Amino acid sequence: MQRVITVSLNQNPYSLEEDAHAGLEQYLAESAATLASNPDRAEILADLEQAIADQCTRRLQPGRSVITLTELQPALAEIGRVSDPAAQTATSGDNASSATPNQSAEVLRGAGLEQISEGAWISGVCNGLARSAGIDVTLTRVIAILLLFVTGGTMIVLYLVLMLLMPYAPLQIDGPALRKLPAKCRELVTSLRAKIAALG
Amino acid sequence: MTTELDLKLLPLRKGLLEFVVLKIVAGHSVYVPDILRRLADTEFATQEGTLYPLLSKLRREGLVHYEWRESETGPPRKYYQLTESGRAQVHALDQYWLQLHRTVADLGHTPCNA
Repeated sequence: MQRVITVSLNQNPYSLEEDAHAGLEQYLAESAATLASNPDRAEILADLEQAIADQCTRRLQPGRSVITLTELQPALAEIGRVSDPAAQTATSGDNASSATPNQSAEVLRGAGLEQISEGAWISGVCNGLARSAGIDVTLTRVIAILLLFVTGGTMIVLYLVLMLLMPYAPLQIDGPALRKLPAKCRELVTSLRAKIAALG
Repeated sequence: MTTELDLKLLPLRKGLLEFVVLKIVAGHSVYVPDILRRLADTEFATQEGTLYPLLSKLRREGLVHYEWRESETGPPRKYYQLTESGRAQVHALDQYWLQLHRTVADLGHTPCNA
């Protein structure tokens, strides 16, 4: 059973299952980050919200009213990642001096380092590290817990840094529902990233 | 078309997207799904994620403007139209495109010993 979250998309209410909500948050946060320097950011995001709402509603089975990943993922795939025409001309130069969390996130994603929310305990850092190292997640957790005792708390800071920097792997259709804490972490971090991107 | 060639031609299509969107808007006032449908079977097939930011840029440049129209099934829609300067730009782009086409076509035929 999944919790249902009601959100306002372009000022109309829509109900989404918890993991679809997390996926939507992530897409919108990434879009907001891409458009960080765009003067029409708010308007474009509202347009996109409306497009997502239309696409999802169109895909709903008759008699259903809650949007799940089954509707959301093909909808987002059809809408596509946001590209900022203003930024494309601006970034053609060599102004890659200040790395934002999002740029670092892309580098980490390129290196195969992603957080995996499904089956995670906290945010999915150990889960993701285990996958990229090709080892069992229990092993990375044991190492993390050992480090926690050895370093006397520094490990917590390291975890938080990784949690902020490592991008989230996309949620799987029909994957297991997220535990409360990983879902909360994912939501918190994506919205935090969007805020940081909006500042920079 | 081989993928390698396709990759080379990608920047060309990207650069022309703004031009073809302006041309579609020039026809009659349209909303985004109209534009997507019109482009879907062409080399310029695109997505909302690209189109909305592009249209907002064109609006900022004063080339298009939009009006809200009620729809039967849902919230009001934005219908885009060309402004005066948008019309002028489409005309200029058309001229430029013809000239470009002539230049490219001629290059293969003219002797270069002049």
